[in-house]
Amino acid sequence: MATTTIQAETKWWNGGRSPFNASYGKVMMWYFLMSDAFTFGAFLISYGTIRFSVNNWADPNHVFNAFPFAGHANLPLAFVSLMTFILIFSSVTMVLAVHEGHHMNKKGVEKYMLLTIIGGIAFLGCQAWEWTHLIAGHHDVLVNGQIEHWGTTVTKNPWGSEVMHNGTMVATPGPIAFGGYFFGITGFHGFHVLSGVVINIVMYIKTKLGHFDQRGHYEMIEKAGLYWHFVDLVWVFVFLCFYLI
Amino acid sequence: MSEHVVSPEVTFAPAHTSGTKRIWKTFWLLSFITIIELVIGIVIYNIHKGEHPNHTLVLAFKGAVCILTLAKAYYIVAVFMHLGDEIRNMIITIVVPLALFIWFIIAFLWDGNSWRNLRNTDAGSRPTQEQAAPATKKSGEKE
Amino acid sequence: MSSEAISHGTQAHAMHDDHHDHHHHETFITKYVFSQDHKMIAKQFLVTGIIWAIIGGLFSVIFRLQLGYPESTFPWLEDFLGHWAQGGKLKPEFYYALVTMHGTILVFFVLTAGLSGTFANFLIPLQIGARDMASPLLNMLSYWFFFIASIIMFASLFVQTGPASGGWTIYPPLSALGEASSGSKIGMDLWLVSMAMFIVSSLLGGLNYITTILNMRTKGMSMTRMPLTMWGLFFTAVLGVLSFPVLLSGAILLLFDRNLGTSFYLSDIVVAGKILPNEGGSAILFQHLFWFLGHPEVYIILLPAMSMASEILSVNSRKPIFGYMAMVGSIFAITILAFLVWAHHMFVTGLNPFLGSFFVLLTLLIAVPSAIKVFNWLTTLWRGNIRFTPGMMFAIGFVSLFISGGLTGIFLGNSSLDIHLHDTYFVVAHFHIVMGVASFFGMFAGVYHWFPKMFGRYLNNTLAYIHFWVTIIGAYLIFWPMHYEGFAGMPRRYYDYSNWESFKMFGGLNEFISFVAMIVFAVQLLFVFNFFYSIFKGRKVKSQNPWGSNTLEWTTPINPGHGNWPGEIPEVHRWPYDYSKDGKDFIPQDVPVGEDESKH
Repeated sequence: MATTTIQAETKWWNGGRSPFNASYGKVMMWYFLMSDAFTFGAFLISYGTIRFSVNNWADPNHVFNAFPFAGHANLPLAFVSLMTFILIFSSVTMVLAVHEGHHMNKKGVEKYMLLTIIGGIAFLGCQAWEWTHLIAGHHDVLVNGQIEHWGTTVTKNPWGSEVMHNGTMVATPGPIAFGGYFFGITGFHGFHVLSGVVINIVMYIKTKLGHFDQRGHYEMIEKAGLYWHFVDLVWVFVFLCFYLI
Repeated sequence: MSEHVVSPEVTFAPAHTSGTKRIWKTFWLLSFITIIELVIGIVIYNIHKGEHPNHTLVLAFKGAVCILTLAKAYYIVAVFMHLGDEIRNMIITIVVPLALFIWFIIAFLWDGNSWRNLRNTDAGSRPTQEQAAPATKKSGEKE
Repeated sequence: MSSEAISHGTQAHAMHDDHHDHHHHETFITKYVFSQDHKMIAKQFLVTGIIWAIIGGLFSVIFRLQLGYPESTFPWLEDFLGHWAQGGKLKPEFYYALVTMHGTILVFFVLTAGLSGTFANFLIPLQIGARDMASPLLNMLSYWFFFIASIIMFASLFVQTGPASGGWTIYPPLSALGEASSGSKIGMDLWLVSMAMFIVSSLLGGLNYITTILNMRTKGMSMTRMPLTMWGLFFTAVLGVLSFPVLLSGAILLLFDRNLGTSFYLSDIVVAGKILPNEGGSAILFQHLFWFLGHPEVYIILLPAMSMASEILSVNSRKPIFGYMAMVGSIFAITILAFLVWAHHMFVTGLNPFLGSFFVLLTLLIAVPSAIKVFNWLTTLWRGNIRFTPGMMFAIGFVSLFISGGLTGIFLGNSSLDIHLHDTYFVVAHFHIVMGVASFFGMFAGVYHWFPKMFGRYLNNTLAYIHFWVTIIGAYLIFWPMHYEGFAGMPRRYYDYSNWESFKMFGGLNEFISFVAMIVFAVQLLFVFNFFYSIFKGRKVKSQNPWGSNTLEWTTPINPGHGNWPGEIPEVHRWPYDYSKDGKDFIPQDVPVGEDESKH
């Protein structure tokens, strides 16, 4: 019977079946992600609110202009684009793993899960580098008439507006909330990536052990995939809020 | 029971496309949108570097980036997360609650903006200096 | 409908039956402690909730002692509270701690976990015709996360510097700065960690309730054939799942501010003459985040009570509920509006007045669905063949309290009036009546009504009637005068009003309120006694359907096992409100529709 006719003729809400034609696990995963979207939403909206409430904010193009092994070259947006592409690509491998799962192809699932895990770890590595660079890289800041050297941390923000001091332009301390939000939100996202990688590793092992072949379906891969794509989705918004605008 | 029916509540096994063409197409689309975003990002950067940045132009570009990001989110959810392949009931229950974000965002940002006005005017007791003095001078004053 | 689909359906039930055969070998641990049976988990929530209610109620009695008798000392308090009540006089720090804990415990632990945890768990599978929750494991974890949250909160009562004491809303900067007060130290960290655990618990529970109601309904149980209880609990879960994460975000940021030196909520703070380095944040941001949860939370507390009251009113009036679809629509409207009105708690924070006017409009809109519900309850009662069972008494009491408390909400929703009434005893009276006592009445109604299903025994009726009359009269005697005090400008959360010339006149009134509060608290202990006594010694239930009710839970055996129905799950053929129809007193949902039956 054609799927469309079943769809049209089934009384979805009359009980005895899922109104979404989906297992409870999948529905639960979707609603969990929705709930998590509100967690991230609250973080990003708080960030936006604080940014609206102060007169000047750190310019992302100045803060995030470094690239590994590139020395002091001014490369705004370069590194974060790399991170974005890594995450999008790992999302593609994940969706390919789900696709292979639909066709009960164990080897294919294994291959793409492994690629996804590598992508996730690569992303975490990039984030670790970026954090280290921000915290360890010191900048001149004019504090109470003295030049100090500050890294970007949750309590210090060397990216305030510049003023003239002894003939050169020197930055003043910026709103402290910048570091807090940046590390807080990317950290919370990184925590999600980390847990996603752990989930994916568990799924990889379970695939390897043939658990899903025994069960007759690869729905667990699909659910893990939903989580992983959600992590990618959040990154799209983090990318927007912290690096682009 | 077909091998794809994973749970007793499921009425019929959803049809899965056999090819991966759509996935790759979406990947290229997402990459393309991201590159446009980056280009706009660089443009904004260069406008800022100029002597007199045009704030309206910057705002317009930022708005464009937001719309492009929403487009990316749409493709990730619809294709990668397969929400587009689910039946309508499911799509509606996922998408409609997200409308709550609209007022969530508007009210929060509105109040944030109002706090800045209150700060800049000492809660309305003096006229705003925001336009008169550039932001650079302002943080200098606090020293 | 495709034949294929039907065959899947039957297989589904067969599979579930197989599944539940495994549960027969039960030890004490799997049956009473780490149980995955939704009925046992519900009882765990209820008993934990009762314990918390006693603790929270006791706290209110202790701080009411201070408010009612500010000049007296009570030496026995020192034996009980140690250095917090040296010489029998409550210390101001501990007074705030008690007020904070009273609010936290009753709002979150009793009226959220204890109320919807109990009844969502107990009733959802029984009323929609499911063997258990969608995921019994997550359901069990939901209770145990609540248990961990409870342990942490309980432990915080005993730390040297005392539990959190910034009010149940824990506004920064008081809560963000450890040096601000003794209650802002480790007690506040424990509060936040406990709350995080609580949010995980409510999330696991909520996801389960939503998916169970959507996916696990028995054949014929369409959404519009669900009892109103199910609708209420469904939207309660939706509210929880979408609003608690925002509090989680707020709490995480607050923890960072406390422990990592960030400035999310802090700016321009001076403590003891020292300027803090924190700059750029906003304390009001926390209020926004808190109330984005906090307002839906009010309905998380109210909706289960409302919907259980609807059910009980209909059963005991022997009449169909009036305006079923209007009731469902109102619940839905309340759910949506609950997310849009949070800033009406913040009119005096310097909120942009123009923005505030939108919040006034949205807030006052809630009066519409609320009024629809009230009129539907009254018309359900109208010319009904009313049976005054204890459950029914409490349900009627709920309607009364909801009206009296709801009307004062219209005062407070107006930003111009709120400027005068904000943070006075008027607010205390408003939310205690509409959200506190009313929800308690819904909860009591539920306990009296479903106790026979829970334990196979009845509660003692005489004690129940004493409980009802003392509680409702007492509640009005306690909270009605507070409106008057609030109009006169008496602020809430003060330790001692006798120092103010303008509030001295209320000394006698405060003493009276405290006196009644103690009596009402004592009567609650009578209920607790009744509850535990009746579990073991109560009159046994002889009939499968003692209230003559239509809903599915009464088609199970008197003491249902894990899996609820020994045989097939009944199929549903009608809505649950066919009372006094075609000459029949009631027609249960699983009775097929007769040929000559009239439509409802």
